[in-house]
Amino acid sequence: MITTQPLLKVDHLSRRFGGLTAVSDLSFEVNQGEILGLIGPNGAGKSTTFNCVSGFYPLSEGRVTFLGEDISTLNTAQVCHKGLVRTFQHDSLLSDMTVYDNLLIATFSMIRAKSEREQRVQETAAILNLTEHLQEIAGTLPHGLQRMVSIAIAFATRPKLLCLDEPLTGLNQTEVGGALAIFRQIRDEFSTSILLVEHNMKAVMEICDRIVVLDHGVFLAAGSPQDIKQNPAVIAAYLGKRA
Amino acid sequence: MVSAKTSVVSVLALSLIALIASLFAGTGFAASLVIWVAINILLAASFRFVQLIGELNFALAGFVGLGAYVSGICTAKLGLPFAVALMGAALAATLLSLLVGYITLRTKGPYFMLISFAFTEVLRMIYTQIEYIGGNSGMIGIFPPVLFTDYYPTLVVAIVLALLLVLYKLEQSDLGKVLVAIRNNDALVQTVGINVHLTKVLCLAISSFVAGIGGALLAHANNVISPGDFSFLLAVYTLAYIKVGGESHIAGPILGAAVLTLLAQVAMGFGPYEHIFYGSAIVIAVLLMPDGLVGIIRKILGLAPKPHVAARH
Repeated sequence: MITTQPLLKVDHLSRRFGGLTAVSDLSFEVNQGEILGLIGPNGAGKSTTFNCVSGFYPLSEGRVTFLGEDISTLNTAQVCHKGLVRTFQHDSLLSDMTVYDNLLIATFSMIRAKSEREQRVQETAAILNLTEHLQEIAGTLPHGLQRMVSIAIAFATRPKLLCLDEPLTGLNQTEVGGALAIFRQIRDEFSTSILLVEHNMKAVMEICDRIVVLDHGVFLAAGSPQDIKQNPAVIAAYLGKRA
Repeated sequence: MVSAKTSVVSVLALSLIALIASLFAGTGFAASLVIWVAINILLAASFRFVQLIGELNFALAGFVGLGAYVSGICTAKLGLPFAVALMGAALAATLLSLLVGYITLRTKGPYFMLISFAFTEVLRMIYTQIEYIGGNSGMIGIFPPVLFTDYYPTLVVAIVLALLLVLYKLEQSDLGKVLVAIRNNDALVQTVGINVHLTKVLCLAISSFVAGIGGALLAHANNVISPGDFSFLLAVYTLAYIKVGGESHIAGPILGAAVLTLLAQVAMGFGPYEHIFYGSAIVIAVLLMPDGLVGIIRKILGLAPKPHVAARH
């Protein structure tokens, strides 16, 4: 159920690295219960936006509000406790540990009682189809399962907003289908909103309620998947302008 | 394969043997040797505990020294009971480590190592400047508790065994897993709401609590302490114990410290070349047995390598 109450509000966000402006004056919102795609060509500033929103990078300018509260100056751990958790493109799990321990660590700061932590691990593993792999070393799993573990780590904290950084990279068609079904389940059963950075356009168009497009760190367009597909500026950014 | 039950029984049996053997150590050289082995084991386990978060803590020597001096002041200068001195030593090392860790543990890797090294040397130089604690010459008259004069080795072994058990239990707990996770991927650990910085400070504080007690036990064993006893070399020796014993299990520092402390009695005959002995031990261990003595034992017993091991530097 999508409501228009904004869960996450990004206001005029800018992030500079010395003379390079990675993100400039970006504003967008994620509504409760929504799956929002954040897309753009390589170097568009998607991951920088993720890092700013999740407290990894301080903002150069602007403001990030989550459930009405300014989280611009909070660190990553504090942002997590507010209900916003992100995954990583790379190094997104504890590869030397079992899947069970990966999930247990994810619950460590969120749940005090050990028995409840263990229960959360089992529940999360069941949703992400990882139950039979719990005792395996995470780094030895096939790529597709490793992607699921990284999502499971973030989801084990039961966030209100799950920020997924290219979760479908390297997955085959069947695995993508399975992952999208899990995203829907997470949204529908747990009212978890999802902010999705992804290059698989077919999947983005299929799963997202709305899409925000960035190009060279600047807001380019926003709208429904249908609108974005037909937006000339987006087409030009992805395919280049006609000579 | 060795079952968990067999392992527990073996450890209990070995602990009991160590405890009983220490009863017969008397008060001579054998007693000193038992105490040195036990304390070096404790220091190696303390050093390794910080390795769980991936750091080489050369400040260990500083915290051992602080424990020794605080305990010495408590008993030799203030006339307080041994138990109070022991707790005072542990508390002083813990409190200082909280402060030092809070400031320095935002750095990691070689940066933290160098800072911790500098901390140890600064503390050592401070001791040399304080007349009250004997300056360069050090403090004398730090005796074992009267009640345990004849059984001080047994008291030391009992305290060391208890602390080893605590460190082992902590490592096996969920907190221990978090510490290892911080070493493997601290960014990921932060994203799931864990305050990595404070957790690292906690880890250093636990290690320093143990180091402080180790220092106190050492002071009362040697009766005399001087600033030179707590230079960075103490941490280098401790690292040698871990490298030789193996980092993957708490048994590593125990084996390494026991073997090297006993061999060091031979090395003492080398005079100024004694340090070469430790350096060679580290080099040989790293080159020929990267998983240390524990790795060799695991191979013999047919056990798989541990999925997560302490830091490799």
